[in-house]
Amino acid sequence: MDHGKIVELMSAETPRKKLPTYQVVISFIIRDFLIWWTYKFWLTLDISGNILFVATYYLFSLITSPQQIHEAGYVTGGYFTFALIGIAFQQYVFFAVQSINQSVREEQVNGTMETVLSSATDFKVFLLGETCFFFIICSAFLFISFFVGYLLGATFTLSLESLLSVIVLSALLIASHMAIGVLSAGVIMKTKQGNPLTWVFSWLTQLVSGVFYPLKLLPWYLEWIGKLFPLTYSLDGIRLCLQGGQSLASPAVMNNVINLLIFTVAATPIAVYVFKLGYDAARRDGSLGQY
Amino acid sequence: MEYAVETFQLTKTFESKEKGQKRVVRAVDQVDIKVKKGEFFGLLGPNGAGKTTLIKILCTIILPDQGTAKINGYDILKQPYEARNSFGWFHGETGGRSLYWRLNAEDNLRFYAYLQNVPKDIAEKRIKALLEFFDLSEDRKKLVKEYSTGMKVRVMLARALLHNPPILFMDEPTIGLDTISAVDTRKLLQALNTQLGKTIIFTSHNMFEVEQLCDRVAIMRKGKIIADSSPSQLREMLRDIRAVEVEVKESSDLQKIAEKLANTPAVKKILDTTNNAHTHIIRLQVENEYEAIPEIAEKIKSLGIKVSAIRQSEPSFEDIFVKLARGEEQP
Amino acid sequence: MKVDQLIDLFREEFPRSSSELKHTWAVFWANFKIFLSYRTWVITETLSTVASIAMYFFMGLQVDANRFISAGYGDVTWLAFAIVGVSTANYLWMCISRISHSLQHEVSEGTLEPIVSSMIKLRSYIIGQSIRGFIVSSYFMVGTMLIGILVLKAPLIVTVETLLSFIVILVMMIVSYAGIGIMAAGIILVYKKGDPMTFLLASITEFLGGVLFPLNYLQSYPILYGLAWVMPYTYALDAARRVLLTGATLASPLVLYNFAVLVLFTLVFMPIGLRTFKWGMDRIRREGTVATY
Repeated sequence: MDHGKIVELMSAETPRKKLPTYQVVISFIIRDFLIWWTYKFWLTLDISGNILFVATYYLFSLITSPQQIHEAGYVTGGYFTFALIGIAFQQYVFFAVQSINQSVREEQVNGTMETVLSSATDFKVFLLGETCFFFIICSAFLFISFFVGYLLGATFTLSLESLLSVIVLSALLIASHMAIGVLSAGVIMKTKQGNPLTWVFSWLTQLVSGVFYPLKLLPWYLEWIGKLFPLTYSLDGIRLCLQGGQSLASPAVMNNVINLLIFTVAATPIAVYVFKLGYDAARRDGSLGQY
Repeated sequence: MEYAVETFQLTKTFESKEKGQKRVVRAVDQVDIKVKKGEFFGLLGPNGAGKTTLIKILCTIILPDQGTAKINGYDILKQPYEARNSFGWFHGETGGRSLYWRLNAEDNLRFYAYLQNVPKDIAEKRIKALLEFFDLSEDRKKLVKEYSTGMKVRVMLARALLHNPPILFMDEPTIGLDTISAVDTRKLLQALNTQLGKTIIFTSHNMFEVEQLCDRVAIMRKGKIIADSSPSQLREMLRDIRAVEVEVKESSDLQKIAEKLANTPAVKKILDTTNNAHTHIIRLQVENEYEAIPEIAEKIKSLGIKVSAIRQSEPSFEDIFVKLARGEEQP
Repeated sequence: MKVDQLIDLFREEFPRSSSELKHTWAVFWANFKIFLSYRTWVITETLSTVASIAMYFFMGLQVDANRFISAGYGDVTWLAFAIVGVSTANYLWMCISRISHSLQHEVSEGTLEPIVSSMIKLRSYIIGQSIRGFIVSSYFMVGTMLIGILVLKAPLIVTVETLLSFIVILVMMIVSYAGIGIMAAGIILVYKKGDPMTFLLASITEFLGGVLFPLNYLQSYPILYGLAWVMPYTYALDAARRVLLTGATLASPLVLYNFAVLVLFTLVFMPIGLRTFKWGMDRIRREGTVATY
């Protein structure tokens, strides 16, 4: 093509309206999906790993007694159902703190971060786009885990109310962890390191949020620390619904919802602020594209 | 005659997939070169001509499809370790990769000294001296990841010299260096060649650098060696493609203006003209830029042409290729 | 420093005798130093190891002593049973992924090219990297064991004899998997993607090897149970548990049997692994992708 033609093409004025946020977010999701899809082999492995993990806990459940779980109010299903819920939902924590970090790092390493941010995209939209994709993937994995669990004989109390309540609790779980993910992405943008804080957060969550055992088994100080983590409330609420037949109408579940709401409302503005600090700091040292 | 480097019909093709279609690229195409011991041999060519692939084959990093080569008399395919014992390799295009970023400069060099069988006491002495020479002494304890590109390149240069090999493959050694380091590096290479008799195979796309340093120059294009000559011949060639660029303000009748300017005695002929929306350039071949420029300026003044610049034009590889092709046509 | 001074230094001649031992040492030393530079990683990894042991402790509180029929390991707690499983599985995983992990890194950083063009033989490189892997993963394993024994009072039987037997079994376990690790490394060199092989192997090992539950619970699934005994790890773990949980040593026939099976696996996998690795190395040298920066 003659460069005269390109000049001509470029000189034609077009009004550039601001795209609505949802369209930008969707374009991010599509982009991430296309990148992700090129790793089909990994995808297969991830899914197989997931299935094996669920199967491992099924076999472990054979040697456990359901006593403590029933005492905690989760009366339907034994240890396997209990652990399955923990495994399926804790993925959100993993995705929130690690995938977001990783995608920010990757964008920095590949140098695509500078391109994206120099386009007319607001950084909040950028963030939303980055995070949305991972929560979609994560939900897909959640369904796979539940499906495998169901095949292996996990039992739930299912009613319309309890299912709706689980959806509300899941939404809150995602919202609260999105805030955590955004916060750590902000830190990573400045420090350029696999943020050790996120690692600490991941394993501490697993230890104290009752993924693999009811909180009553923990000594009082760990149980107390567990109360600081949103996953604790989410899991308790979800289990009360799916294993106890309760719904939002019951005070125990409502209590969890309120705690999650408080956490989300408090954490989101802080997270966005920290991210902005990290983003501005990186732009100030001119290190956005660095790694 | 024992050669330092001798290649026999060396050929390497790469397959790449572009949009599902296979493309075969002949990176090195039946290359026969012979470099005498103690020679400073320049390999000149534009990016993508196959210089780096050729060097990597000689360094036993890439295996050839056909043909072979001898380094210091050792076959690269049959006696790779003996061949490796004979050379040092530097690759400037990596821009400072290929070092361990989480080790400091000293430790990087120590590691390679071990791998190259340099005894410890000698290694320490040389590391100290090389770091001093490359002006890295103060930063020698800093992790390489904190270095600038130029500093990393200097560590890599030191690494190539550390084991004092008789043959040095210097692939674009001055590419990431500042002017002063580049001058120092050239001086060092020249001294290594003249005083210690090292054979140096030097690649570059900077014609003037090659002309200045090398005893012999080969020019590569699309995997083939298309010319093998002395620097004086190269100089000749460069002289023949010396050119002056005139940037004209108005685009109308560029060809006519060019023809008028070509009438100046200092101008040999019109090379080409570029005419589009914002640039109007005439390139004129001349005998000597410094004599031609004032003459052309005089002419422009007398013709009343409005120009925005008159300048010396860097000869391009295309010019050389055209020149070479013409040379082949008229034996 | 002047050019002339430098030139004078290079006039000094010395004998350059090739020593594989020195090369191996250089690879180990450089990579261990790199490991130490990841200080935050070491700290967080240590903390997460501690957290995971604590998790297993709390999981153990739910185990029903009547249902946990330890498969011939005497009267032990589930925690002791699990600690031997988890620590050996992690050890294996860290050691085996080491070679492929480091190679992948060296390819993408461009540091493999200078290594290939130097005097080192590839086996020295592999051994050097493996020793670094051994030492780093031993740190985590010893830590896990110590916390298990000292803090959580897991009744592991530690005497000079059992300890020596355990170390021999561990080494044999790694050696029997080294062929697979090297094979994975060869494949990764060519395909340049993650280390899917070792990752999949790790998940399968953890599931089928009986890390968290006695293998007799797998008996109702004959195919899975059969598969379990095709993996060297199952034999290694069985031997390790017999040693540390019941106080058996290499002298006892069951342990010796496991040991012999591991030797057999080594004899089969090692040549395959080395051949695959050589294939991978030659192939990337043909393709010209020794570095992919």
